[in-house]
Amino acid sequence: MKPILCLALVLTAATFVQAQTIQKAPSLSLRDIRGHVVRLSDYKGKVVLLNFWATWCPPCRAEMPDLVKMQREYRSLGLQVIGITYPPETVRGVQRFTRQLRVNYPIALGTKETKSLFDESETLPLTIVIDREGNIRDRIEGILLPEEFEQKIKPLLK
Amino acid sequence: MKKKQFVSTIVMAFVLALGAVGVSAATRKSTIRVEGMHCKMCSASVTKALKATVGVEKVEVSAEKGEAVIQYDDEKVTEAKLREVINGTGFKAVEEKSDTK
Repeated sequence: MKPILCLALVLTAATFVQAQTIQKAPSLSLRDIRGHVVRLSDYKGKVVLLNFWATWCPPCRAEMPDLVKMQREYRSLGLQVIGITYPPETVRGVQRFTRQLRVNYPIALGTKETKSLFDESETLPLTIVIDREGNIRDRIEGILLPEEFEQKIKPLLK
Repeated sequence: MKKKQFVSTIVMAFVLALGAVGVSAATRKSTIRVEGMHCKMCSASVTKALKATVGVEKVEVSAEKGEAVIQYDDEKVTEAKLREVINGTGFKAVEEKSDTK
């Protein structure tokens, strides 16, 4: 009887810990650089990478060609990158920059408050990984490294 | 018997000393000036990329000083490679440097 009770307690504790660590992504609705509304809820069922960036941030600029490549290669598996700018930015400056890089995913205009909805850190770039059920699975500070993509994002695409 | 024990102790001490010399010879510390690192929010990428590099043991990046102090195993990674890693984060590793072994 005792082992069964112990097992039940362990399982309950494990479920509780999991429920504590998995956090639902907040609802988000922003204007993109073309004037369209981008809603996070529109991407339910996809693995979303919310990438906070700025044109004045050198690592953010260095990272973008890799994000463009990831979006191209993994779109069919359900990957959706969404770029969110961090102020100060001008729409024209962002448009010019993303056109040069041929960015193939939506770019929305964010504020400091938009970023703080997801993370309190003072780091750019910052990538929030959201699974197909709309749960935040990871917060990746700094440039997204290939090994992080393999370990933290690729398994969610299966 | 005592003689045998003495000899084995000497041999062991010699082997340990050799090992210690080997470790210190491979560890190098370099200070690399990083240009354009005005944005404190962005400097985390330099630390992260350097720490993810094989052979790097310790990293201290200062946006204020505009430099990265790196302790690494020079048998596993070269300073040229470290500069390449820094450049890959969008900043520029400047050639001038101070170097200590």
